[in-house]
Amino acid sequence: MRKLAFFIPFVLFIGLSVFLFSGLFSDPMERESSVLNKALPAFSLPDLQQPDNLWTADKLKGKPYLLNVWGTWCVTCNAELAYLTELREQGVMIVGLYYQQPSDAAFGEVFNLAALQQEVALKLEQQGDPYQWNILDKDRSLIFDLGVTGAPETFLIDAKGMIRYHHIGDINPQVWQQKLAAAYQSLEE
Amino acid sequence: MIAEYGQLALTFAFCISLALAVVPLYGSFKGNQIALELGNPLAYALFFLTAFSFWALSYAFWANDFTVVYVASNSNSLLPWYYRLTAVWGGHEGSMLLWLLVLAGWTAAVALFSRSLPLQFQGRILGVMGLIAVGFYAFVLFMSNPFMLSLPYFPVDGRDLNPLLQDFGMIIHPPMLYMGYVGFAVSFAFAIAALMGGKFDSTWARWARPWTLAAWMFLTMGIMLGSWWAYAELGWGGWWFWDPVENASFMPWLVGTALIHSLAVTEKRGTFKSWTVLLAIGAFSLSLLGAFLVRSGVLVSVHSFAADPDRGLYLLAFLLLVVGGSLLLYAIRMNSVRSQARYELFSREVLLWGNNIFLLTATLVVLLGTLFPLVHKELGLGSISIGEPFFNQLFYYLVIPFSLLLGLGPWVRWKQQQVQPLLKPMSLIAIATLILALGTMAATQSIQANLALLGLLLGAWVGSSAIFELLQRLQQFGSIKQGLTKLNASHFGMTLAHIGFAVLVVGVAMTKTYSVETQVRMKAGDQVELAGYQFKLVEVYDLKGPNYNGEAAELDVSYQGDYVTHLHAEKRFYTVQRSVMTEAAVHARLSRDLYVALGESLSEDSWALSLYVKPFVRWIWLGGLLMSLGGLIALCDKRYRRRTASVEQKDTADA
Repeated sequence: MRKLAFFIPFVLFIGLSVFLFSGLFSDPMERESSVLNKALPAFSLPDLQQPDNLWTADKLKGKPYLLNVWGTWCVTCNAELAYLTELREQGVMIVGLYYQQPSDAAFGEVFNLAALQQEVALKLEQQGDPYQWNILDKDRSLIFDLGVTGAPETFLIDAKGMIRYHHIGDINPQVWQQKLAAAYQSLEE
Repeated sequence: MIAEYGQLALTFAFCISLALAVVPLYGSFKGNQIALELGNPLAYALFFLTAFSFWALSYAFWANDFTVVYVASNSNSLLPWYYRLTAVWGGHEGSMLLWLLVLAGWTAAVALFSRSLPLQFQGRILGVMGLIAVGFYAFVLFMSNPFMLSLPYFPVDGRDLNPLLQDFGMIIHPPMLYMGYVGFAVSFAFAIAALMGGKFDSTWARWARPWTLAAWMFLTMGIMLGSWWAYAELGWGGWWFWDPVENASFMPWLVGTALIHSLAVTEKRGTFKSWTVLLAIGAFSLSLLGAFLVRSGVLVSVHSFAADPDRGLYLLAFLLLVVGGSLLLYAIRMNSVRSQARYELFSREVLLWGNNIFLLTATLVVLLGTLFPLVHKELGLGSISIGEPFFNQLFYYLVIPFSLLLGLGPWVRWKQQQVQPLLKPMSLIAIATLILALGTMAATQSIQANLALLGLLLGAWVGSSAIFELLQRLQQFGSIKQGLTKLNASHFGMTLAHIGFAVLVVGVAMTKTYSVETQVRMKAGDQVELAGYQFKLVEVYDLKGPNYNGEAAELDVSYQGDYVTHLHAEKRFYTVQRSVMTEAAVHARLSRDLYVALGESLSEDSWALSLYVKPFVRWIWLGGLLMSLGGLIALCDKRYRRRTASVEQKDTADA
């Protein structure tokens, strides 16, 4: 027994090394999404183009879809519009969650819905329109509840309204193939 | 051209390290006298080649040679010459070269000062140092070469040194830290050499003591300077952040402290043998682990160098080889060793054992706190972070019994101590403790039962115990005057280091409890009161430095109407790196610091300012300084030289 005790430091060290080794290959900045495998948080937000139409979490149930957080001010979001449009043409349902930046009253900024509607329509006309419709989150409440750190981010939501995947960053052919396609197809079936 | 010579010298140094790793070890196992004697010249050659290589890189910085990639990314022609020279260790590659220089320096020092050791033992020590050197030289040469050139297309000017590193504290903080980290390689080499020999007596402990003490002294100094640098440069009055990299330097320090005490037991009483060897391996292993954590990017930290998984992989492999190998050797060799000495429950042995237990528990706390987030994530349990509250709380619990033991320890005899004779001095110390603690409390704040009072009590207990013990020891020589000349230096060193610890505890407790701060918006002429001090903003004006622009604020401070001091705080914008730095204004006194950091300009004539009054914060660094000074004094002890001389005599007598 006493002889074996002298091996304890060695064994502990080897155990530690295993973790150090696996730590080398993961990004320490990476954070797991806290909303994964939970229901879409409750909300009631207007449609961007038809503000009288209010969207809720229940209304969106029934079919798996992508919820894409974006804004015309976000360069990366604009870059992914073309590929998202391609996905829409393949039959993927994509709902836009419009990320409105706060208006700074000190700089004389006032929120102007008509101007925004025009800007969004123009942008989608130029770059391609992947969205079935856009939900306007003017006060960023749903965006906050979803734990969004920036735009673009995309959530894969199943027919029952459960969040199945949270992707931070743009969606391009590679990301779609490697991360989202399989998950989306399994929800389709 | 000079840079190429530097590269050449480094390549030669790598070859020399290979020879150093093989030749003396071969000689020690085969009994080959010539091979053993080659150890010393090889060690010297290693040092001179590395020093030349280091000089070459420094020259490239001095001469603004931007064909060298490393110079171009860490310096700029506008950088003042003294920061150009310290920029040598401002990035990963150059700091690794500094690491090599320090390692070669320690190796040469071992060769120089251990000539009186048995040749076989000295050869093994140098061989182990050589093995460590091979790993590091290969790492620098093949994976982080500072002499990489960008010819033929080289930049006209450099990207400048990180402004955070343009500070006096930064000039000496890394070299001191590295002296400490790498210094533990010597204690490690002594332990491994002893393990290789297999014959285990306490002689190796005697030889290893001064080296360990020297490394510990440098590490203490390095950590203290780092803390001071953070305080002066980061602009929010903090002095310790439990950052993974700070923790990486704190762990070897804790184990090193335990090692110093354990070595004393092994040397004087011949016990704790396996324990001491383990600590010697542990101190250096944690230094290596620290290097891995900082340079591999597995943890998020303000100190991290650019992450590169290949480098991380190499360092991990090296770590496995060195630490895994030595722990295996330890497990195989140590289990035949048994301690013969006997001691009673109340004896210095047991108290020092307690010291070791507490220091190791502290190490474990820091290790867990640092690595648990990583382990937690790799187990797939998600990301978590462990912060200040965890460390602070556990350290409160640890420091209480530790300090109580520390006050008692030096009074207790080896082998066995009767309780009766200690009652009188201990109650005297207890009374002095109460008077000191309550007196300080009443003089500076008001008497309250809080953390500060606890810290003062513990500090006063340790401090007055150390002083009384010294006085009593001095009197044993007849008179205090006679004692001063006769008592050995290591006892003075110990007393001073213990007083340093007391000062540190008081500093931490008082600062933690009584620091006040406020963030205010001020115009010229405005006045703000904080903890009785009136801060008056006199003016703010534009500033132009060699490689930065900025603003400076002038403040007058008065206390209850009496003028105290003038403060000058700066906010600098470093043009090349495009980053903003605060140069805080500090008015330091033993009893408190006044600390002002200039923030953003809020409108044309008003600025955001952070004001701090931090009581006793100087005591933290004063404590660290006293501790390392204690180490230095202990190092001057004559017996370290005399003992080695007597060993030589004995050896020749044996022969």
